[in-house]
Amino acid sequence: MSVNGLSKFFQPESIVVVGATPKEGKVGRAILENFIARFKGRIYPVNPHYDEVLGLKCYRSIKDLPEIPDLAVIAIPAPLVSAAIKELGEKGCKAAIVISGGFRETGTPEGAALEDELVRVARDYGVRIIGPNCIGIFDNWSGVDTFFVSKMKRPPRGHVAFISQSGAFASALMDWMAYHGIGVSRAISYGNKVDVDDVELLEFLGEDDKTKVILMYIEGFKEGRGKLFMEAARRVSMKKPIVVYKAGRTARGSKAAASHTAAMAGDYAVYRAAFKQAGVLEAESFDEMMDIVRILLDQPLMKGNRVYILTDAGGVGVMLTDALASAGFELPLTPPDLREQLQRILPPHCIVENPIDLTGDTDDERYIKVLELLSQRSDVDAIVVVALPQVPGIKGTFVDYVIKLKKEYNKPIVALTIGSDVAIETARRLQEGGVTVFESPERLAKALKALRTYSLFISKGLVPAK
Amino acid sequence: MSPKDIIRQALEENRIKLLEHEAFELARYYGIPTPKAVLVKSPEEAHETADSIGYPIALKIVSPDITHKSDVGGVKLGLMNREEAAKSVAEMLKTVSTKVPQARIVGVVMYKMAPAGLEVIVGGIRDSVFGAAVMFGLGGIFVEVLKDVSFRISPVSYGEALEMIEEIKSARILGGYRGQPPVDKQALADIIVKTSNLLLDNEEIESVDLNPVIVYPQGAVAVDVRVILKKG
Repeated sequence: MSVNGLSKFFQPESIVVVGATPKEGKVGRAILENFIARFKGRIYPVNPHYDEVLGLKCYRSIKDLPEIPDLAVIAIPAPLVSAAIKELGEKGCKAAIVISGGFRETGTPEGAALEDELVRVARDYGVRIIGPNCIGIFDNWSGVDTFFVSKMKRPPRGHVAFISQSGAFASALMDWMAYHGIGVSRAISYGNKVDVDDVELLEFLGEDDKTKVILMYIEGFKEGRGKLFMEAARRVSMKKPIVVYKAGRTARGSKAAASHTAAMAGDYAVYRAAFKQAGVLEAESFDEMMDIVRILLDQPLMKGNRVYILTDAGGVGVMLTDALASAGFELPLTPPDLREQLQRILPPHCIVENPIDLTGDTDDERYIKVLELLSQRSDVDAIVVVALPQVPGIKGTFVDYVIKLKKEYNKPIVALTIGSDVAIETARRLQEGGVTVFESPERLAKALKALRTYSLFISKGLVPAK
Repeated sequence: MSPKDIIRQALEENRIKLLEHEAFELARYYGIPTPKAVLVKSPEEAHETADSIGYPIALKIVSPDITHKSDVGGVKLGLMNREEAAKSVAEMLKTVSTKVPQARIVGVVMYKMAPAGLEVIVGGIRDSVFGAAVMFGLGGIFVEVLKDVSFRISPVSYGEALEMIEEIKSARILGGYRGQPPVDKQALADIIVKTSNLLLDNEEIESVDLNPVIVYPQGAVAVDVRVILKKG
């Protein structure tokens, strides 16, 4: 099936919830509520025991539906799922998200047999499956939302897509992103992935104009799927960055993953090599994962490796210098022409070396003047602005200039703020304007490094092995 | 024999590890430099062959039933002429058959010992998820203790192989260290690419170990080649 084949999952015009119920606390109710709240298409509940559910006409069976639904969401006990897929196939529906658990993940022969039966029926009737044993899709643009975790706050609409091998982590991360105001396009958790898997989803999101950065949480691929993933990832990486968090990296962690989704976590060293070859950026911790996503979302590519630091705090400038140098960045000595210009506009006690230190008596004006100079220069590949807003002279007007200059010169500008209310407010304003803000010099350096790695991948172009 | 013939023969004889001379032959077929090696079956043959190999010569017993060769007297190094070679082969055949009477003995492989140099490891594995993959690392504690290795999924380009070499933490040792001249990274990259090809062409192979590969300022040679086939 082509990539467009998945569009029925993400942009259906009509959906059926098999197992819809008015009973409080049931998955079939939570899902129906989600669709009623945000989905603009036609919604059909199916349940043999009801004529009406949550104010919608309920159908006794799939056969009785007044039209062929584009997408089916299935939340009924595992032994009944295959029969429902057969009926959907007969009706003409080609896409189903199977939420139900009780399949191979149980580790029982019965569960495995039910899963094999499901795969066979789906194939016979040409029905594509996401799941089973999954939380499914949260699509922030179409309103397809099978995340049955009603207490999860929905993040704002945006451009980060998330593919997760863990359903619980997917919902937790959505909640976290909602709290941090990071916009999401679509999130998918595919559970036992008997059919649609990472490879196809990656291709789909690669073509998706609402998605700018793809984040993946992976425990392991199925046997023999690695090469296809690499090919897909290479193609997609040329268009938009893919950030991967690979769990099960240690021998102990691998074991936990193997019993988790009945997938082998595989040999981490081999995964690392594969990611590198495919241009995929690897995050090594939760913090790094979100830092990399944020920087890639907001920043243009880096043309080179030269970073300038502009600070009002000498100490933080030194910390940043260490962190950036350790990450492999070049912090050039201020060239003579720039030095001359800086000396002309700054008071004599300011330090014009890189880090350029405006010192604690700075005002917004100094930041603005120096940033103007740095932004224009072709020998500056990224600027790190340290704005500790606790100093009395800073009123905050520099924020708008930072945002304006970043847009105007299309150069990466990131910021570091440390502190409480004023710092948080400054950070919020910068962040809203597309200037990525960090609290920790080390995390900033690592994230910038990921931006640099991705920029290099894009500029080198693709040199695939023969 | 072609690679397919070597592998077929081993599988027919229920061997999943290729014999020394077979593994060398396979490596050479792919252009991986190995020492000149000849399988002999008697002291007389050793006497005839030794001069054409060149000295110093090393001997290794060839048997599908013996894993730890030196434990049973199946390894001998530093032979400097054909008389010594012939005598050592005779002794080796006798000692080994006394110590492990049930072992099938194919013969003795004689090869020219490589001069000392920097020891590295090139390996190849077949990963269940990604397929063929190659590995590079420095020999000894660098691999065993520090696990300082790099991997790539096959196929591997020459450029990627060079990247693998530069990627290990101890890469600076290759660039010349304590007055040593830099080693031939191109020759290593070449061996990595060829190892990758060997794996890609022969699905029956489970893993390859070139351990060690001795690398010099110019050139490199795989002095031990271990090829394991898939079971069944």
